[in-house]
Amino acid sequence: MDLAPAGDYRSSYREDMTIFPTRNSRLAMLLGLALLCTAPLFLGRYELGLLINIGTLGIAALGLNILVGFTGQISIGHAAFFGFGAFASAWLHERWHIPVALCIPLAGVMTALVGLVFGAPAGRLKGLYLAIATLAAQFILEDFFARAQWFTGGVAGRITEPFSLGGWVADREESYLYVVIAYVVVMYLAAANLMRTRDGRALIAVRDHYLSAEVMGINLAYYRTLSFGIASLYAGIGGALYAHYLLFVSVEAFNILFSIQFLGMVIIGGLGSVMGSLMGSAFMVILPEVVQAGADLLSGSAIDRALKLGASISFLREMAVGAAIILFLIFEPDGLARRWRLIKSYWKLYPYSH
Amino acid sequence: MTPRKTLLGLAATAAIIAPAAAQQRIPVGHLMDNSGATSDVGVPYGQGVADTLAWVNASRNGIGGRPLNVLGFDYGYQAPRAVSQYQAWNRDRVVAIQGWGTADTEALVRFVTRDRIPFVSGSYSAALTDAGGKSGRQGVEPAPYNFFYGPSYSDGLRAMLRWAAEDWKTRGGQGKPKYVHMGGNHPYPNSPKAAGEALAAELGFEVLPAIVFALTPGDYTAQCLTLKSQGANYAYLGNTAGSNISVLRACQTAGVNVQFLGNVWGMDENAMKAAGAAANGVVFPVRTAVVWGQDAPGMATLRQISRISDASGNAYRPVHYMAGACAAMLMVEAMDTASASGGELTGERIRNGFYARQGWVPKGFEGVCNPSTFTAEDHRGTLRVGLYRAVVTGDTSQGSVAELMQSGTMKLQPVTVVELPRTRETLGW
Repeated sequence: MDLAPAGDYRSSYREDMTIFPTRNSRLAMLLGLALLCTAPLFLGRYELGLLINIGTLGIAALGLNILVGFTGQISIGHAAFFGFGAFASAWLHERWHIPVALCIPLAGVMTALVGLVFGAPAGRLKGLYLAIATLAAQFILEDFFARAQWFTGGVAGRITEPFSLGGWVADREESYLYVVIAYVVVMYLAAANLMRTRDGRALIAVRDHYLSAEVMGINLAYYRTLSFGIASLYAGIGGALYAHYLLFVSVEAFNILFSIQFLGMVIIGGLGSVMGSLMGSAFMVILPEVVQAGADLLSGSAIDRALKLGASISFLREMAVGAAIILFLIFEPDGLARRWRLIKSYWKLYPYSH
Repeated sequence: MTPRKTLLGLAATAAIIAPAAAQQRIPVGHLMDNSGATSDVGVPYGQGVADTLAWVNASRNGIGGRPLNVLGFDYGYQAPRAVSQYQAWNRDRVVAIQGWGTADTEALVRFVTRDRIPFVSGSYSAALTDAGGKSGRQGVEPAPYNFFYGPSYSDGLRAMLRWAAEDWKTRGGQGKPKYVHMGGNHPYPNSPKAAGEALAAELGFEVLPAIVFALTPGDYTAQCLTLKSQGANYAYLGNTAGSNISVLRACQTAGVNVQFLGNVWGMDENAMKAAGAAANGVVFPVRTAVVWGQDAPGMATLRQISRISDASGNAYRPVHYMAGACAAMLMVEAMDTASASGGELTGERIRNGFYARQGWVPKGFEGVCNPSTFTAEDHRGTLRVGLYRAVVTGDTSQGSVAELMQSGTMKLQPVTVVELPRTRETLGW
């Protein structure tokens, strides 16, 4: 817990800008990481698989959060960039025999370049028009994946190789988890730090009021496009991690629904919150599993027989995800990140919360 | 001993035995599409598999006295979801899996090979038949743990093309017949494309450029007009029933006169009812020796299985339900073999169980399931393809499928049985 004394005792900009406000919060973070690193000792492969999914999707969701939550732009083509990163990493390894460990960051850079191209309209367009422009990116890239046999293996998809570094091969959940943890730490620290730089503050200024930002000398077109580049970098790295985990990439996975799901993660987690992106992806990964478990319990039970649910139980999961998004929009528009802050402050102030 | 102590003792014994008995159940995965793009055919097939496995538990108490614990999962035809569910099943130590679609089956090939879990798919892609990985074809990996019941998509199409070449002669067609491949740009419709076009050219067809239509129902009038203007005589429909119905109806409206060739998932009794007269004349492979309503020694067993989910015993079961039953029985009997020799039920031993018989028809399914033969190099279970023609003679909008089949408004008419040669060149293709 970041138990800070009441009142504002910060006396330098350095203290004001710190990511972890107290020593305890820093320690808690390190302890949590250490605990996560021992997860393979007590968690099964299924739970580890969920953690890996949360990590890879969380990195991509953070990219989208930088674009949507911090810069105030919109993208409904994020899954296409995620897919581009996945295919790029697989292609780099197969065509040029670059080690997978190097392919992942390279794929991120390639995706960032593609993102800059598709982000160019953002220099000129706003709101709904921008949304439609990114929709175009989604369809163009999806069509490209289906046709570019040399790059993606066409509609049949491409088999990828497991991550290896030196002699160590991460081809199981127990080992791949460490790769994902390392990337999550690096990418999340990078994003948190980015928001403390001039460029990061410029992005936030563009979001808060574009006209004021421009008056202050911020180049709107430059920062909007840059934001797309950064978002794509994150999407590409997330996608590459996903590709080397599943060991198979196929165009089918990267459809528009998946893009919308990324938006859902960012909204549920909390727009404009770095940690919220991770919470949102955790929510989106775990919710369907929980609903599935509930549906399994329900099927064949008295309720099932009484209501004659039968095969309709399958649709429960889809409805639950939709309902979760609606409920979040109504009751917690600031997302899980805010709820987490409220819980923390409740305990901090306990029992004198008023 | 006082009665109370006896009771306590009994309760304690029960408490010890109960978990032990629970552990005895054999975990088996069952991946199905009840809500996704291919649910039109996924639902009857999945029902067939589920009913058969439940019947195995009810009628013979599972495998060697241990009931099956069937872990069903609806993955909505999304390959990534199937992969994450696979990890969950791995935790539950499933010994075998009943699978479904092409994309997810191919995504899981490496995993099931690594973890040695036999995987009986609903995907009949020829790429899965190269068990030893010796065909040397590009993009074909060894798939020693993948099995399916029935002819591969490619072999189904090869059989229909052979029939079409004969048909052209008997009809007294002039010149070269024209053949065209139709389907979505997706691994499943694409799977037999190259094999079909190569054989068509060899048999003297003129091969037209392929026509693309999506896996989902829509307006395909443009595709039908292309068919008409090209003057195609034989067209292969590579998708599942739903979108094929759209094409058939659009082509009927456009007045296209072409012989459609469906794939195993492309036509069934439900599709005939939905398409009505437009489905009349479509030729497609049926994987079982008979269809529902016909009689064969094994039909008594199948009717028992059908009662698992339909106590009245009146339900009409489409071709996919019966194929699902046969696919499930292959797995069950392979497991019987693995446990009969007194051994532990491991994936490897179950796989070897698939190799134990030649011309393999599950016991009690004689005359229903076609004979299958698997070897360590060649997982083409059968090269014998039974072709049927959908015959629709009246209005199908009134009445259920069962009634329409009974009254003869809809019929499945046997056309021919094609025996394809088992050559090395066509393995994995």
